[in-house]
Amino acid sequence: MEQKIKKPKGRFTSVAVRPTAADHSFNLVVDIFLMGLLVIIAVPLWSTITLSFRPNDYIGNNLQGMFLAPWQWSNAAYKALLGNAGFVLAFGNSVKILIGGVVTALLLTIPLAYVLSIHTLPGRRYLNLLIIIPYVFNVGMIPSYLLVTNLGLIDKLAAVFLPGAISTYNCLIMRSFFEGIPNELKESARIDGATEIQVLMLVILPLSKAIIMTIGLFYGVSFWNDFFHAMLYLNNNQLQPLPILLRNILMASGMNEYVEVNAFGDAPIAAIKAASVFMSAIPMVIAYPFIQKYFTKGTLLGSVKG
Amino acid sequence: MVQKSGTKQLMREIKRHRSVYVLLAVPFVYYIIFKYIPIFNGQIAFKDYMALDGVLGSSWIGFEHFRTFINSYYFVELLRNTLMYSFGKLVFSLPLAIILAIAIYESNRPHLRKIVQTLAYLPHFLSWVIMYGILLALLAPGDGILNDIIKMFGGKPIDFLTNTDAFPWIVILSDAWKEMGWSAIIFIAALMGIDPSLFEAALVEGANSWQRVRYITLPSIRPVILIVVLLRLGTILDAGFNQIFMLYSTPVLSVADIIDTWVYRQGLLEFQFGLATAVGLFKGVIGMFLILGSNRLVKRFGGNPLF
Repeated sequence: MEQKIKKPKGRFTSVAVRPTAADHSFNLVVDIFLMGLLVIIAVPLWSTITLSFRPNDYIGNNLQGMFLAPWQWSNAAYKALLGNAGFVLAFGNSVKILIGGVVTALLLTIPLAYVLSIHTLPGRRYLNLLIIIPYVFNVGMIPSYLLVTNLGLIDKLAAVFLPGAISTYNCLIMRSFFEGIPNELKESARIDGATEIQVLMLVILPLSKAIIMTIGLFYGVSFWNDFFHAMLYLNNNQLQPLPILLRNILMASGMNEYVEVNAFGDAPIAAIKAASVFMSAIPMVIAYPFIQKYFTKGTLLGSVKG
Repeated sequence: MVQKSGTKQLMREIKRHRSVYVLLAVPFVYYIIFKYIPIFNGQIAFKDYMALDGVLGSSWIGFEHFRTFINSYYFVELLRNTLMYSFGKLVFSLPLAIILAIAIYESNRPHLRKIVQTLAYLPHFLSWVIMYGILLALLAPGDGILNDIIKMFGGKPIDFLTNTDAFPWIVILSDAWKEMGWSAIIFIAALMGIDPSLFEAALVEGANSWQRVRYITLPSIRPVILIVVLLRLGTILDAGFNQIFMLYSTPVLSVADIIDTWVYRQGLLEFQFGLATAVGLFKGVIGMFLILGSNRLVKRFGGNPLF
């Protein structure tokens, strides 16, 4: 009788073979590599986190600070940040850009990806070409800058997300997902007299939660993290999003007047910097485990299909 | 006759799909405005662009900007730096991603595997502004962790971000740190697809774990590795604008400046729109051939390129 393996992961226990010394050394090397890597990934993150909780009267260096007991931590930097009107404003602007951007991007990308997935559509080849040409041929940042300026989008939050509201790459991933949905489902709806809009809304979307979450996350990350477009198009201080403020805070020093350092009370400036780093990362860090299970599934469908 | 019925059928097909065109309308307009007008604006690469005259009104000067760029002393430097970072990242982080994928796949400890996997993907979602903050806490000459360690052993602190010897390494290593886990995903997926009976056969034949990796695992994912390399070669002129822009400064300009950062400074800080666009176009045309070429090769090697 042949035994079947359900999950081909790690050990292959279905065949009983005594592990040799070489196998043991292999396992040891693998574990040491993973643990070493864990340390390498964790140390920079941990040093930033501990730095952000640094009390004002702390005298050790940053290396020692990483081992400071949590009950000695101080939340002065976070209090200072959350009590700072400029920081709250920037955070709010970033949330607006995030929500506006993700909604716009999905409203544009989903219909386009769906239309591209309809094989019977007359003119589909030309449509594909229309999508691919700008993806392959990138003219660079200046021509886009001229466009956004001419559209009068300077000092509009939309200027941050509109230029990237359809990412061709995301759209093509979504298209391959839609193509993978069994045709019979769509056909039976069409025979029942559903329009394409109804097919999309009632048949496709309910089956596409994974891909919409994944692509939504990709868009969300790109808009939340966007620094470049905000720097180019938002001159008004009232509109600046978190990445811009964060960069100004990080660059602030005694000689630099980008940010009124004193505005943050008496928390150490290094702690203020680290705390703003952490606060900027937190929405991504919170959203990420919820969506992690979707993105492996979703992206893989696009990238290694076939 | 045949022609006519063909047209008729086409009209019928179009009519049958009319609601599709409704769905298409807004994205189509979006494409024309946000993807094609910039291509149209690209013509200022061949013009003496004056803001007052606009894109259409400025006068043609032919290949003047391109000549200026190719004959300038920074041309070689920009190209060298751009390729150095692209290849450096490829050579350094790709093997790391493959080893990580294999280690995650082979590990006997589910908890360790899970923690490493989760933590390794995370930095991909952090922006380069955030990365800059993290790197400061690590590398700053006064109070960075790395310099604390150097001082502990009696060394002199190094200002890594303004040191021309250290800077390229910081760029390549910080990119590896950030993207290694994310790049490993595709290899992990490929590993999951290996037929387990191959491993059983190897076990029965008396292969140890090292031999298993050498003779089964690696050959099995070789096509995927090849495809990833090809796709990366297609974008070899993108050396990472956001990263360099965030990390570089005047002291390291000679080893840090890449095509994209130069275009940004020349165009948007010095208002040399025409010249900057010409350089962007130069990069765009080469990039186009590289992408098309790599895509064709991916197809030939049995991969599934995006288009």
